[in-house]
Amino acid sequence: MSETPLIQIRNLSKSYGSKLVLKNISLDILPGQVIGYIGPNGAGKSTTVKILTGLIPDFEGEVIIDGMSMADNPQEIKKLIGYVPENAEIYDVLTPMEYLDFIGKLYGMEEAMLQDRAKKLLAAFGLAANKDDRMDTFSKGMKQKVLLISGIIHNPKIIILDEPLSGLDANAVIMIKELILRLSKEGKTIFYCSHMMDVVEKVSDRILLINKGEIIADGTFESLKQNHSDTLERIFSKLTGREDSTTETDAIIHAFE
Amino acid sequence: MTNILLLFLSMDKIFLRFVSFFYPVLEKTGVDTEQLHEILRIKLIMDDRRPKALFTARRNAKATTQSPWLMNFFTLLMGLLMGFLLFINDTPYIGQALYFTVFMVMMALTLISDFTTVLIDTRDQFILLPRPVNDRTIAMSRILHISIYVLRLALLQGLPALVIVGFVDGIFAIPILLIQLLEATFLTIFIVNIIYLLMMKSVSPQRFKDIISYFQIGFSVLIFAAYYLFPRLIGASFLDKVNLLSHWWAYLLPPVWIAALNELLIHSSRSTPLTGLLAIIGITLPVAGLWFMAKVLAPGFNRRLAIIATSDGNSSTPNQVKKEGKFSLTDKISNLVAADPVENAGFRITWKLAARTREFKMKVYPAFAYVPIYFLYFALNAKGNNMADKWDKLQSGHTYVFIIYLSTIIMSAILMNVSMSEKYKSAWVYYALPIGEPGKILSGMYKAIVTLYFFPYCLVLSIGIVLIWGPQAINDIILAFLVSLIYGILMALFMVKGLPFSKPVITKQGGGKMLTSMMILILIAGLGFGHYFLMKWELVIWIAILPALLINWIMFRHYKKQTWENIELSDDF
Repeated sequence: MSETPLIQIRNLSKSYGSKLVLKNISLDILPGQVIGYIGPNGAGKSTTVKILTGLIPDFEGEVIIDGMSMADNPQEIKKLIGYVPENAEIYDVLTPMEYLDFIGKLYGMEEAMLQDRAKKLLAAFGLAANKDDRMDTFSKGMKQKVLLISGIIHNPKIIILDEPLSGLDANAVIMIKELILRLSKEGKTIFYCSHMMDVVEKVSDRILLINKGEIIADGTFESLKQNHSDTLERIFSKLTGREDSTTETDAIIHAFE
Repeated sequence: MTNILLLFLSMDKIFLRFVSFFYPVLEKTGVDTEQLHEILRIKLIMDDRRPKALFTARRNAKATTQSPWLMNFFTLLMGLLMGFLLFINDTPYIGQALYFTVFMVMMALTLISDFTTVLIDTRDQFILLPRPVNDRTIAMSRILHISIYVLRLALLQGLPALVIVGFVDGIFAIPILLIQLLEATFLTIFIVNIIYLLMMKSVSPQRFKDIISYFQIGFSVLIFAAYYLFPRLIGASFLDKVNLLSHWWAYLLPPVWIAALNELLIHSSRSTPLTGLLAIIGITLPVAGLWFMAKVLAPGFNRRLAIIATSDGNSSTPNQVKKEGKFSLTDKISNLVAADPVENAGFRITWKLAARTREFKMKVYPAFAYVPIYFLYFALNAKGNNMADKWDKLQSGHTYVFIIYLSTIIMSAILMNVSMSEKYKSAWVYYALPIGEPGKILSGMYKAIVTLYFFPYCLVLSIGIVLIWGPQAINDIILAFLVSLIYGILMALFMVKGLPFSKPVITKQGGGKMLTSMMILILIAGLGFGHYFLMKWELVIWIAILPALLINWIMFRHYKKQTWENIELSDDF
């Protein structure tokens, strides 16, 4: 793959007050890649995602997506991106059809095509029977499915998933994992954030590990294995400086004495 | 009338249609009108489906199935009650000034308590912002949404008054009142805006939400008071004789400025140049306020709102609980009153959850105000020609015991809500831990309710009673307090069969429970009236305290021995 990168991040920094959350990050992401984006809590993961999705408009450095700069042209960029946020925010007094109709129209989609696609997607996710029920009665997994659909309904080039599997049952998890691979074969670029190392390990072509605002590892799972350790979980704890977990467990055991 | 109601139901559509006339203009300023239309449409749908704070505090069981129709009906009813104030039109200003005071207070409180959740809808951050919607469109949708909401409220609330004023002051007063309503509305928006800004400047987002919930509590108390006291006040003759304008501060009250327009144009015979001046202030100030808001306040306002929304999203500021580690006063009390570890746990968990759970506070705290309102209601209902006469009758009588007996309202409000919680699932700990005597948790709970809510409340009331009626009331107070405690334990025994905060909120009361509740109430009412008749003999009351104490002690021991069989477990975990 020697195409031009779809997402280019140059010297990206972001600080809240005096606290520097992202320190000079630079990245190139090629079309069709599935990026596994991992890191401990507070490392700057969600800040990166919020900048990429245009939620945080003020940052230092440059974010260029499909040749457009985030600073100049956020609305055009947002059209290319589908985002499934982590905290499952949804207008739950609406029905899935009403919600998807609303979201689709914000993307400027035609009513007929939108309705048709929403119905097909809801059916594909097993929600055909619930498509006209209000979502305040839905389980977490069902809401998550609607969120996923709302993230892909406009057929975006880039899909950003933040913990998309939370609340989903095993079958749905398998389905989403397959879906990610299929979507990447279709040429979609996927940015996948998660704490579930085993899933990241399986779906990603390329893993980015961020710690304290810096990217400290970047490569395929195979290449990370050679340099560090044999599972992603171990690589993660080794690189984020948590190797000495025995001293922690020691302290816990000693507390009972 | 039904036609009018139907009209108000489809009002959203009319408003949307109305707004759409401005689309060509808006488009020129960079607003995407198609998106704007969609956002407004969906927000209005959500408004209709959202349970309103106004009535959930009292009618919580039906909260989820509330129809907008019912809401509109209640707003109309409230408007009607307020409108009756307009009948007071013999003296200058009074009726109208009172009406607009109530109108503005109601409107401000509705705006703050009901609309804040809409204003700071944190979900917008994640639903609207990642979509290709520009800032101007979002800002415009917010402004229009607020305007539609406010105008709908103002029209609905003012409609009865428009009819009434036609009867009172003639047909020409109607268009004038319409202008006055608009003045009041704009002025209210301006004031609410300033309240918001002050609150946002001085408190953190978490505190902000807490303060809002106190507003909601205050609001439901006000509604309650209005339903009970308005009709009495209108009947009260003293209002007719007040000469408002003899007090200099009256000129500083915004409702007086608004009322001045009616004075000037309808009752021109009794108006003075000053009236004209006030009327001019009444018209210009709201306009100036709107301009000031749009030019000066609005930009900072939106930015601050965004800060609140985001700081809530990534909870970076931990909600700090008062200094841990150091023994607090309540901890000391809990150790003193409930020494047994299990009982102590029940005591503390009840106290802490009660003090920190917003829904609990919303449902229980208004009851604290109901007692004085009820009492005032009875006092106003008393025979007597004027206020002083009524007051004399009140003071020479023995009605004060009923204040304490009325306080059982608080007891039952707390007990009915203490076992319920939206987060009832956290109560799994009770079932997972090896608790042999769950009665101890219940007794801890009961002790917490009494020592931390009921006793202090009664103490405050007692001080008031002793101040008004003199120290011979003390024995009656003690007896009434003890009888109320018996009522409390009976309620706890038969009505509250759950551990603290362990059951889902929607529990419909079975017929059997209603019957038990009635029986308990009749028993206590019987005891209360018995008490009232015995009051002539001071000594008898002192003696009666002893058996009351004994009964309390025996019943409490029994309550403490409750086993798992007596406790209703919530079935769905």
